[in-house]
Amino acid sequence: MTIQVKFALYNAVSKALIILAFMTLLPILVERIVYEHIDKRLVARSERILLTVKRGSIADIVREQDCSFESYNILKEEFVAIYPITDPLKMNNGTQIRNETWSIEGEKLQHRIISRPFLYDNQMYELNIGEGISTIDELKSIIQRFLLVMMLGVILISLFIDLAFARLLLKPLNSIISTKLLPVPSPAYFNFTPIPSSTAEFNQLDNRINEMMHKLKDSFQIEKEFISNVSHELQTPISIIQNRLENIINEGNLSDELLIKLSDSQRTLNRMSRIIKALLLISKIENDQYLKQDAIGAIELMDEVLEEIEERLTEKNITLHKYFYDDYNITHCNRTLLFTMITNLINNAIKYNKDGGNIDIYTHVKDGRFQIEIKDSGIGIDKTDINGIFDRFKRLNKNKADGYGLGLPLVKTIAGFHKIEIIVESTPNVGTEFTLRF
Amino acid sequence: MNVLIVEDERSLSHEMEIYLSRQNLNCDVAFNGKSASDKIHANSYDFVLLDLGLPDMDGLDLLRESKKAGIESAFIVLTARSEVEDKITGLDLGADDYIAKPFSLAELHSRMQAILRRKHGLKSNVMSIHDFDIDIQNRTVHCHGNSINLTKKEFDLLHYLALHKNRVLTRIQLTEHIWGDVLEDDYESNYIDVHVKNLRKKLSAQSSVDWFETVRGVGYRVNA
Repeated sequence: MTIQVKFALYNAVSKALIILAFMTLLPILVERIVYEHIDKRLVARSERILLTVKRGSIADIVREQDCSFESYNILKEEFVAIYPITDPLKMNNGTQIRNETWSIEGEKLQHRIISRPFLYDNQMYELNIGEGISTIDELKSIIQRFLLVMMLGVILISLFIDLAFARLLLKPLNSIISTKLLPVPSPAYFNFTPIPSSTAEFNQLDNRINEMMHKLKDSFQIEKEFISNVSHELQTPISIIQNRLENIINEGNLSDELLIKLSDSQRTLNRMSRIIKALLLISKIENDQYLKQDAIGAIELMDEVLEEIEERLTEKNITLHKYFYDDYNITHCNRTLLFTMITNLINNAIKYNKDGGNIDIYTHVKDGRFQIEIKDSGIGIDKTDINGIFDRFKRLNKNKADGYGLGLPLVKTIAGFHKIEIIVESTPNVGTEFTLRF
Repeated sequence: MNVLIVEDERSLSHEMEIYLSRQNLNCDVAFNGKSASDKIHANSYDFVLLDLGLPDMDGLDLLRESKKAGIESAFIVLTARSEVEDKITGLDLGADDYIAKPFSLAELHSRMQAILRRKHGLKSNVMSIHDFDIDIQNRTVHCHGNSINLTKKEFDLLHYLALHKNRVLTRIQLTEHIWGDVLEDDYESNYIDVHVKNLRKKLSAQSSVDWFETVRGVGYRVNA
């Protein structure tokens, strides 16, 4: 999930929560305010009525209706009632304000009622003044609806503003990611242009990434020089000895024994030279010194390699089966390196095969990815050894000194350079299968 | 045929000189860019074998300069440096070939001959070894008018041995020539022997191959 989406989600959720809280609290709040207002009015009215009573007019009021008095306005929204108190329990009550359903002429209506006992002429009376509150619910729902619409509007607007702001705010971060981090950068081609931002953190991030890449670039450069130096300083003496050996061998008039020794030395020297070449090749690939500007069809590549080494099959009477079902155009690759990779894999399949064995090569698309499978019927690799086969100088068949243990590491480095996945499966005495997934 | 060896490593230029002189080539040596430049302009060489890592200048600059001055010599670039770029630049600048150090002198010599053939066209593109005629241009081998069907590698092998006839070529020299460009995890392989065995079989079906000698423990020699 991107920060932007998270921001938007957070905004939406937090605002929804605010609305929810408002929607629950608002009715209570409205009610409180309205009640407070009504209560004040009720108290004031009761004061006024009591004052009238005290002036001695209660007799006038209650006379007509057997010591009680009830008066309603026409809509039964308000009423005033005075009753004499007969229940001694009620005698000591003070002023009370409560909600009550009051039945007025057979119509039940919710009222806010103030009850005030008072003494008149040695008789306790209770003054009740009521005010209808059924309109409050209506008021509440109107306010609620109004607020809901208004807040939804506000939230929508603010959500868009937030999104736009987040986008603007995160723009430098996004460009840092897309230009400097997403294509896993090679120090050699890294873009050091600062990404402008008014946000301190992003500036810091960008600066630090640039600094890190500068350091990396420096060490890459140092490594490149080192490789070049090693290359020159080691290859030159090897060249001298190699050429000298060639000249001595060519001189003729050497004893057979000496000739064999010299050619053995040549072989040993060649081994050393090849190890250095392989190590340098691996280092150079890791140091990004190879271009990836070629394009080649997978089948074309396989055929080229096979043409080069097919004749070796006859030595062990190995039968090679080609199952080239699908082709694939390998772009942005280094043809020479891919050639080396495939050669080493097929050579391995020959070298570790049994006499009269088989090699099956498949090219096909599986699970949406093109893959090459090279399967031999050879000696296989023990489970315990399989993890180490790509380690440098690890030779599994130690008694059979037929390699220097850099073939598979080289394969792995080249595959990694081209972002090709390698999968190895092997069963001892049945065979090994290398799968290259593009 | 005149050759200028431009190589600051004296032991190396010395060995090259020995080998090429034995092939009846006149060798001249320059140990730095300055003297190389002087010699290139003063004399007319058929070949300039140019090391890139010279003490006083970059070999590529010398190449550029010479090509600009219209020097007609064939240039072969020799280098042990980070060869990828050098190879591209070198060939772009008009070098005729490129050999990475360490190289075999036999290989160098055969490359020189290939350039000669390419540049001037040899008197004949057919080499005869006893009853066999090797047509380098068309990569075919005939014996008494019968064509012999050889694989690419078998032809390369026969051609290389014939080119260096009467000299032992070790297995390493042959391997380097046949598979030199491919870096693989194999140094003790006997694939060369397999190829020789197959080649001999195909040739001997037509005529005697007594001249195709195995030098035990060392390599092979074509006697002619």
